[in-house]
Amino acid sequence: MRLLRTPTLSLALFAAVAAAQSDKPGPMQSGAHAQPAANQPSKSDAASQGAAPGGDFDVPKLFATSCGWCHLSGGRVAGKGPQLMGTTKTDAEIVARIVNGKTGQMPAFGSTFSGEQLQAIVAYIRGLKAS
Amino acid sequence: MKRWCKLSALSLATALLPWSVSIAADIDGKRLQSADKEPDNWMTYHGTYQSWHYSPLDQINASNVSGLREAWSHVASRSVRGLQSYPLVADGVLYYSGAYNQIWALDGATGEVLWHYKHKLNDDLVAKQTHSPYNRGIALGYGNVYMGTLDGKLAAVDMKTGKMVWETKLVDSEKLTVGFTGAPLLVKDKVVIGAQGGEWPSRGPIFGVDAKTGKQLWRFFTVAGEENNGDARNTWLNDSWKTGGGGGWMAGGYDPEKNTVWWGTANPAPLYDWSGPDFKTKGARPGDNLYTTSVVLLDPDTGKLKGFHQELPHDAWDFDSATGEFVMLERDGKKYTVHPSKSGFVWVYDRDGKVQNVWKLVKNVNFVKDIKPNGELVGRRDMTEGKHTNLCPFIAGGMSWNMGSYNPKTGLLYKVGNEWCMDLEIKKTTPILEPAAQLNIGADFNITHPQGDKAHGHVSGRDPITGKMKWEVKFPEPPLASLLSTGGNLLFVPDARGWLHAYDASTGKELWSHNNGQGHNGGIISYRAKGKQYIAVMTGWGGLAGDDYATFFGGTFAQMPKDSGVLKVFALP
Repeated sequence: MRLLRTPTLSLALFAAVAAAQSDKPGPMQSGAHAQPAANQPSKSDAASQGAAPGGDFDVPKLFATSCGWCHLSGGRVAGKGPQLMGTTKTDAEIVARIVNGKTGQMPAFGSTFSGEQLQAIVAYIRGLKAS
Repeated sequence: MKRWCKLSALSLATALLPWSVSIAADIDGKRLQSADKEPDNWMTYHGTYQSWHYSPLDQINASNVSGLREAWSHVASRSVRGLQSYPLVADGVLYYSGAYNQIWALDGATGEVLWHYKHKLNDDLVAKQTHSPYNRGIALGYGNVYMGTLDGKLAAVDMKTGKMVWETKLVDSEKLTVGFTGAPLLVKDKVVIGAQGGEWPSRGPIFGVDAKTGKQLWRFFTVAGEENNGDARNTWLNDSWKTGGGGGWMAGGYDPEKNTVWWGTANPAPLYDWSGPDFKTKGARPGDNLYTTSVVLLDPDTGKLKGFHQELPHDAWDFDSATGEFVMLERDGKKYTVHPSKSGFVWVYDRDGKVQNVWKLVKNVNFVKDIKPNGELVGRRDMTEGKHTNLCPFIAGGMSWNMGSYNPKTGLLYKVGNEWCMDLEIKKTTPILEPAAQLNIGADFNITHPQGDKAHGHVSGRDPITGKMKWEVKFPEPPLASLLSTGGNLLFVPDARGWLHAYDASTGKELWSHNNGQGHNGGIISYRAKGKQYIAVMTGWGGLAGDDYATFFGGTFAQMPKDSGVLKVFALP
């Protein structure tokens, strides 16, 4: 069920990714009394599938990890968020929504995903079929 | 200038009229211990340390409630996901919090705004949060209003001026994404507050902070404890404790006689595990996963663990114990603590945390066959990777985080129950930690109706120790707001569609209702100002449970705004 890369996505999508990510914040802020995330695993321990450029990026697994909180049944059914299967949004609009979010409705994922990973998410949404 | 004039006029009135908005006697831990002797006020989230959510006031009662009318209201700006918090009242002034960590102070009799506080937030961080931007409550003490913030701080705001006195960063929200949404609890000279967590790969701490200075005094990790304080890492194999979830996202309780803080903890992450029955050795987080989905008893002075009971060892269903009030009551000379949880069960403890009984409040439960009166789980439904149908209750719980009410006159505990289920497909996940932590669910899921039934809710009046039901009222959708019972033999139920109902607390007969125009998803209190009793209720829809209503229940929820919040206040003419 691993998703194949989608080289056919247009250059316009790359432009959309770049534009959507360009306004995201830079370094994280930290307060004077901040407690570090105690004893968290290192990046390599975490094998964090969402942030491993060039590694395997499993979109169905990503939905079961985070996106499925709002987009039910892997995006096939509307829940807190809309049904993604059959969406009429353009690729660029989907990317912009993932990166920038929507106040009170969808969190902004900012720089969490690379352009290639965003393409994979779009391709997954386009390929959704009723289960 | 206008505000200055109002304040001056108010000060003058204060000097002349003893029953007017007055300079509050300082609220400290000692005053809160006898809060039940001050029926005019509602000074802490749960009303008093007994956590009854009960007002002894009886000016409004079963014989005259039909005349109840709206007295005044206040519109809260930027109310994304509605108003989910609890109003507090001290000495004629009503304080409440709203979305994006705003606080208002209002004249309790007229609704005139005394001040408005807007916490300075990192907007980019808030935009990345899923369980946000609501705030569920505040605490009062030592001249301050205390509020946990979305960006991981505890802030103290001057009760008189609305200016920030201090703020202390407790959680690295920029890295963990989550912060605080639950109410703090003032205990003696400390403020206790629990962090969000649950779904997030962190360790969900509870903090003790000096109420006067803001200095962090202690921290208790709900995931695995620490070497010198409840070390439980051996209940998390493969270092899974490092990303274990936990948290304590709702205000707990306090037993002054035992000097014990009671706090409910959240679920472990990922929410759903693929271990199957071999959860002690296999899956995402092998072991019992202490102290998640537990009730922990802490020393408020040191944060040391005095005792605990894990309500669901190795919770594999997201039925955390962070929800639910700690109802302190006495029956036949014996003292109990009653604690409802998301699972749909109610635990009854003695004051040392030993289980005395467990009873079931909702009908549709099959994540276990049953839970014995001694707390032992029978017939666990531990799932493996793949599809599973008809798991009950739904992830939002057999009971949600909204508070029930105990009425000492009727001897009944009133509580909302939710009848709904879910289908899910469990998948193996790995935590996402970079560049900031993300949810770790472990499944795709979908809300469903119970088999042979339609999803619905109910409010019942029950014996708090045995669960024996005296009466029940059904609702087409689970109400998601808290309840209030009063000395006037009334039970107020704010429902999901927007109706505020008043029932005869003894019989369940409906006596009054009023349409507030949008759903309720927050608190309700009663207080007295200038000699008059008021009922104050939060309105405004949206939130982690309510956001599913538009697509699942449809009807009026499809059009209901999710960015509106109004505090409504009622009184007799």
